[in-house]
Amino acid sequence: MSAPSIANYIVKRPWLKRWMTPLANWYTDAAGYRKLGLKFDDLIPEESENVQKAIKRLPAKEAYDRVFRIRRAFQCSISHTLLPANEQIKPEEDVEYLSPIIREVEKEAKERAELETLTLRK
Amino acid sequence: MLSRSSISRNAPRALAAGRRAMASAANPTFQYDVSEASGVKVANREVGGATGTLALVAKAGSRYQPFPGFSDALEKFAFKTTLKRSALRITREVELLGGEISASHSRENVVLRAKFLSGDLPYFTELLAEVASSTKFADHELSEVVSDLLKLKQQAVYSNPESVAVDAAHGVAFHRGLGSAQTPSQSTPYEKYVSGDALAQFAQDAYAKSNVALVATGPNSADVTKWVGQFFKDLPAGATSGQYKVQPTQASKYYGGEQRIPSKAGNSVVIAFPGSSAFGTAGFKAEASVLAALLGGESTIKWTPGFSLLSQATKGFNQINISTKNLAYSDAGLFTVTLSGQADQIAAASKNVVDVLKKAAAGEVASEDIKKAIALAKFRALESLQTLDTGLEATGSGLVHGSKPYQIGEIAQAVEKVSEQQVKETAQSFLSGKATLISVGDVHQLPYAEDIGLTV
Repeated sequence: MSAPSIANYIVKRPWLKRWMTPLANWYTDAAGYRKLGLKFDDLIPEESENVQKAIKRLPAKEAYDRVFRIRRAFQCSISHTLLPANEQIKPEEDVEYLSPIIREVEKEAKERAELETLTLRK
Repeated sequence: MLSRSSISRNAPRALAAGRRAMASAANPTFQYDVSEASGVKVANREVGGATGTLALVAKAGSRYQPFPGFSDALEKFAFKTTLKRSALRITREVELLGGEISASHSRENVVLRAKFLSGDLPYFTELLAEVASSTKFADHELSEVVSDLLKLKQQAVYSNPESVAVDAAHGVAFHRGLGSAQTPSQSTPYEKYVSGDALAQFAQDAYAKSNVALVATGPNSADVTKWVGQFFKDLPAGATSGQYKVQPTQASKYYGGEQRIPSKAGNSVVIAFPGSSAFGTAGFKAEASVLAALLGGESTIKWTPGFSLLSQATKGFNQINISTKNLAYSDAGLFTVTLSGQADQIAAASKNVVDVLKKAAAGEVASEDIKKAIALAKFRALESLQTLDTGLEATGSGLVHGSKPYQIGEIAQAVEKVSEQQVKETAQSFLSGKATLISVGDVHQLPYAEDIGLTV
C-alpha cells in the first residue's frame, strides 16, 4: 500500500520521536494536501484489489465524504487555487479512516495465502 | 404371484413383527439423557459409534424474530468470522478434521449442526460455543457474503410454488408469530432492518443460556456435559433491552381465510386446517397425525397408489402431486393438504379432496384403512425422531420450549390409542370450522374456496 517507512523505527524511540515530531508536522503541512481539503488516506493509490475492497467497506457517510473531498481537491487543482483557511483540513481532522480497513483486508489476504499453502505435519 | 392365502398367512405375522419392533423401541439407547451444564440444557443419546453429532437449537426462528429477515441472517452468519478466528480459518480447520458444519432455521428454531469423528467432540463443542458467543457480525461480511446468500435462499424458496403456498398458509392461518414468513419474500423491505449491530444484539438474546439447548448423539454423556460446561460458560446471559430482542412467545391463534397469489413458477393449492401441536405440548392430538396418514396422497410403496384416501380418490390425475401433513409447532399446528402440478387437474382434484374429507367426517372409512393409517402415523412419528435431521431439532425444540423431551414409547402409545371416532370427529371439526385456502400459480384456473365447498 505505501512506500517503505521508518516511522515504526522512530516511534519506538521516544527521544527520536520527540525530536522528529515538529519536523514531521512541518513536512506534512508543507506537502499541501490539507490545503486542498484532503486527508492523508485520500492519497493512498486506489489501483489495487485490497484498497478497492477496503473502499467498498467504508461506511456510507465516510465513502460520501471521501468522494466529496477528492472532487473538491480536483476543482481546486484545475482552478489553481487553495481552499480558504477555514475549509482546509486541520491536523486533528487528518485521521486514518481507510488504513485500518486496508490493514484488515491485507491481514485476511495474508491468512488466505497462508492457509492455501499450508503443509500438515502430524 | 402371491396367492391370496399366502398373504393372509403372512399378514398376521407382519403385524406380530411390528409389535416386536415396538417393544425394542423402548430400548434405553433411543432415549435422550437430559442434564444441565453451566446453565445450558443438554440432551445426549449415547450411541457409541465412530462419529457424533452436536446441534445447538436456539429459540430464535422466524416466529420470534423482531423484524423480517433476522432469523435468516442469523442462520447465514453462523460459522462466519468470530472475535477469535476468521470464517476462512473455521472452514479450513473443519475440513482438516473431516467434520461437517451446517446451519438452518425453521419457524421456531435456529439450528447449528456439527457432525464429526468422535475424538473431535471438544473442538466442535468449542466451535459452537464460539459461534454463539462471539460472532463478529461485521457489516462488510453482511454485505459481501450474507446478503448474497440470503438472496439466493429467497430465489430458491420463492421459485417453488409449493413453498410459497405453505408459507402463505401460515400467514393466513396465524397472522403474526407463527404466520410470519420463514424467509422474507423478494419484495419484502427487510434490508432496512438488517444490519450488523442489530443482528449482534439479536444474537445476544437468541444465543442466551436460557434460550438454547444442545443436543448430541453418539458421544459419551459425561464427556458432553463436561465440554459443554467448560465452553458454554461464556454464553451471553441474554435479556438485552432494546428493539432487537427475541420476541416473547404469544399464544398462536388460528384465523383462517383465503389467499390467491398469481405466479409463473407453477401451480400449487394448499388446503389447511388447525392441526395438532408437537408431542408433549398441551395441544397435542395424535388423531391429527392419523388423519394425515389416512388422507395421505403420497404412496410409501413403489408402483402403487397406496391405501390412502386421497391417492385413491385422485387416481385419474397423473399430472399432480398430493401430500398431507400435520406441521406441528410448540403451541399450535397446521394440517395441510398440498396439491401441486397442472392447474386444471389441481382445480378438479381439490374438489375430490373436500369430498374425501366429508366422507371421513361422515365415518364412511373402512376400519382397515384406519388401522393402516395408525401404523403409518406411528412409523412417521418414530422415524422423524430417530433420523438425525429432524430428531435433533425436535428434541432441542422440546427442551427450549419448556415441554418435556420426546419419549418414543409414549408417542407410540398415543398414536396407537387413536379410535375411529376420534378421527371422524377431527374431520368434522375441520369442516365445521374456518378453513385456509391458498392458491398459487395460474389463479384464472385455480378454485375458490366456495367452488370446492369449503367455508373460509
